Parts: sequence; C-alpha cells; structure tokens
Amino acid sequence: MRFDRFVRQALRAQFQGLPPRDEFVRHAIDAGVGSIALLTLLTVFSGMNLAVQAYGTFSRFGGQEMLGLFCGVGGIRELYPVMAAIVCGARIGATLAASLANMQISEQVEALEVMGIDPMRRLIAPRLWAVTLMVPLLCAYADAVGIVSSYAASVYQLGINGGVFIQQVRDIVRFEDLAAGVIKGVIFGWLVALVACYHGYRAAKRDGAEGVGIATNRAIVHSAVLCIVINMLLSALMYA
Amino acid sequence: MTAVLRLLECIGAVATYLFSIVRAIFVGPRYLNETVRIADLLVRRCLLPVGLAVAPVGAVIALQSVHILRSMGTEGLLSSLLATSVFREFSPALASVMVAAQAGSSIAARIGTMKVRGQIDALAVMSVDPIRYVVVPGLVACALITPLLNVLATILGIVSGWIFAVPICGVDHGTFMVNLYSQVSMVDLYVGLGKCLVFGTAVGLIAGYLGLNTTGGAEGVGRAANNTVVFTIVFILVADYAASMILLNLGL
Repeated sequence: MRFDRFVRQALRAQFQGLPPRDEFVRHAIDAGVGSIALLTLLTVFSGMNLAVQAYGTFSRFGGQEMLGLFCGVGGIRELYPVMAAIVCGARIGATLAASLANMQISEQVEALEVMGIDPMRRLIAPRLWAVTLMVPLLCAYADAVGIVSSYAASVYQLGINGGVFIQQVRDIVRFEDLAAGVIKGVIFGWLVALVACYHGYRAAKRDGAEGVGIATNRAIVHSAVLCIVINMLLSALMYA
Repeated sequence: MTAVLRLLECIGAVATYLFSIVRAIFVGPRYLNETVRIADLLVRRCLLPVGLAVAPVGAVIALQSVHILRSMGTEGLLSSLLATSVFREFSPALASVMVAAQAGSSIAARIGTMKVRGQIDALAVMSVDPIRYVVVPGLVACALITPLLNVLATILGIVSGWIFAVPICGVDHGTFMVNLYSQVSMVDLYVGLGKCLVFGTAVGLIAGYLGLNTTGGAEGVGRAANNTVVFTIVFILVADYAASMILLNLGL
C-alpha cells in the first residue's frame, strides 16, 4: 500500500466517529505512562548536559552568566520537544510497528476483515489518537524535568547564581514558547504514530520474523528523521 | 531472593558475553570479509539518516542563537557557538543515535531472526562460533563507521548553520569565518571522534547481546530491535553527560 493512500484512509478512519474506547485507553496508558520512566531518565541527563556543555562553550568568551538564557531557549524551544519525539519514536513507534507487523504476518488483520471489521477503524484510529494526545503531555513534562535538571547542574555543579538563572529563564521563555513546544508535540506524535502504523501495517505474511524486524527498524529511523526535519521547518516558521 | 539470583545471572551472562567478544577480537579466526561487507552495507544505509538528522540541527542552532546574540551585539560569536556545539556535542550524539536507530536495530533484528529460526544453533553445530562470525563483524563495523559518519555529519551541520546564518539571517560572511577558525581546534574534532568510537562500540555490543538473547518468535525480534535502540540512546545520553563533566574538569 502506498503511503499517501494509507494517510487518506487513516485520516478518514480517525475522524469517522470516536475510536473504540478500550483500545484507545490501553494504548494511551501504554504510550503515556509507559514512556515516563525512559523520558525522565533521558531528559534529566540531556538537561544537565545542556548546562555543562553551554558552560564550557560560554566560558571561552566569559559569558557564563548567559547559561539560563541558553538552557531556556535551547531546551524548551528545541531540545525537549525533539527529545520527546525521538523517545516516542524509539519506544512507542517501534512497539506499534512491531505489534502491527506481527498481527499482519500471523493473519490477524485478515481475520478482522473477514469478520467485517474495518482494521483501519479498529486498529489504526485508536493508536493514532492515543499517541497524538499523549506526546504533547510528554513534551510538557519533559520541559519541566529538563529545566529543573539544567538548574540543578548550573547551581550545584557549576556554581552559577540560582536567582540569575531563574531570572534569565523567565525573561526569555514566554508562554508562546511553551505553547509552541506542545503544538510541536501534537504534530510529532501524529507523525510518529502514522509512520509506525504504516510500516507495521505494510508487513506481508511471506516476510515472517524478518518483516517484523524491518518494520521496527524503518519505523524508528523514518520517524526520527521526519521529526527532526519537520522541527527545523516549524522553528523556521515560528522564529525566523 | 529470586530477584537477586536473576540479577547475578544477568551480570554473569553479560560478563561472559564481553569476555568472549574480547577473546574473539584478539585471537583468530577473524572473518574480515564479513566485517567489510557489513560495514559497507551499514554505511550505505546510515548515510542518509545521519545527514538528514544532523543538518537541521545546525540550522536550528543558528536560527535560535542569532536573535539572542544580536540583541546583545555579539553576533560574531554565532559561528563559534555553532561550531563548538556541533563539533563536540550534537554531531557525535545525534550521529550515534541515528546509527543506533538504523544499524543497531537492523543488526539486532538480523541476529534475532537467525536465533529464532535456529540458524545460530546451526552455526554452533558446524563449529562456527556465532560470536565470531555474527556479532564481532557487526561490532567492528559499527565502531568503524560511526566516527566516519560523524565527520560527514559535522561538516553538514556547519554548512547548514552557515546557510541559515549568512544568506538568510544576514550575518557577515567574513565575521562568521574568522570566528569559526579562531575558536575550533583539533581538540574539538578529537573529542567528537572519541565519543563516536565509544558510542559506536556500545551500539554493536548492545545489538549483539540483545539479538543473541532473542526469544519468542517474530514478536521477540521486534522487541530485540526496539530494546537495542532504547538501551543505546540511554547509554549515549548518560555517557555524553559524563564525558562533558570529565572534559570540563580537565579543562579541554
């Protein structure tokens, strides 16, 4: 099946009434709650790394006090939404692709069709809704965790004045930046879910176990690349 | 009690795995043709994802920092900020994440498929050590190609940063170049390459281990590929932070 046809069918299934509730809740919990531990771990370390790295760069020309500015802008506008999207692609997207591909090669999707159930409505729509709604929440959560860990690294490890840091973050980060991060999250979530479902759904029975691996691999790589490129375009639109 | 036993079992399995890898690297037989074949395949598959992932990051750094630096009247610092962050941080980390996503997951999926189909056992029956023939070539290939791809990614990141800074945002070309040359040293390049070597090795090690321990049919293959990426990204970010702290304390 070609990608544009898949997108059309998926969109139609998505907006044709409410998705099946049990599937939606299951996938939303799996995507949201299941990703929190991984996302926390990654954001804590990347937030601290952002501060340490910026300190190293800025101290070359004596601008250590600009740390809050850099962590606020770099983190909230760019790094954490992309981070949430990549984590989501690597964990949620890969799981979706693997499970759908597994359903295809074990003929469960055909079984659904035989029973007169539209697999797009039954399988794809709840997954798309669940991930699209969960990733922006994960983005907001990553913003909070990331800023706190940048603050901790700057104040306790690098000896920056905490008040100055907070003041700079408050000066530079406006409400629109947070909103932009969440909007990015919605777009990334939908894209990741769409790409993952596409690669999983496309697996054919003759591919066997190898097909599941290929679908997982493609879902991760395509969604990560797509999110980074789309992020650049969105940033260019919003801030240039 | 069972948890402790399981933990010990896991540590033992990892230690045995690492020991047999080290032995396979230092004591022959080595399958060099297989290594070259895998490295060639992986480079071709990774080129596009790595390039497409790192190039936008350079553009985004230029885009975000040009306004802040301009408001302080220090626009000239843009290229040194761009260069140090791309050389040391974003290019190695992102290139390795993309190698993990593309090469790591495909290695894990391939080894996992072989394991599920019983081909790994078949190799062992023919007295071909699966670690030597299947895992080590992938590991060596990953460790070699990640620094190479990083060089390409760094160049792309700087070029795309230049494209956004000079023609689009109107920074002076001469100022950009002077600051670029004055701030970037060979140390920056070596830091990036060293990081990539470590991350690439980690990708190969994790992919091989999870691939060899695949259980549970087709679903297990997907899980191995997925877990490889997740574990590697965690390792890359944690190790990246540790490396930044160490380098900062060393004053590099």
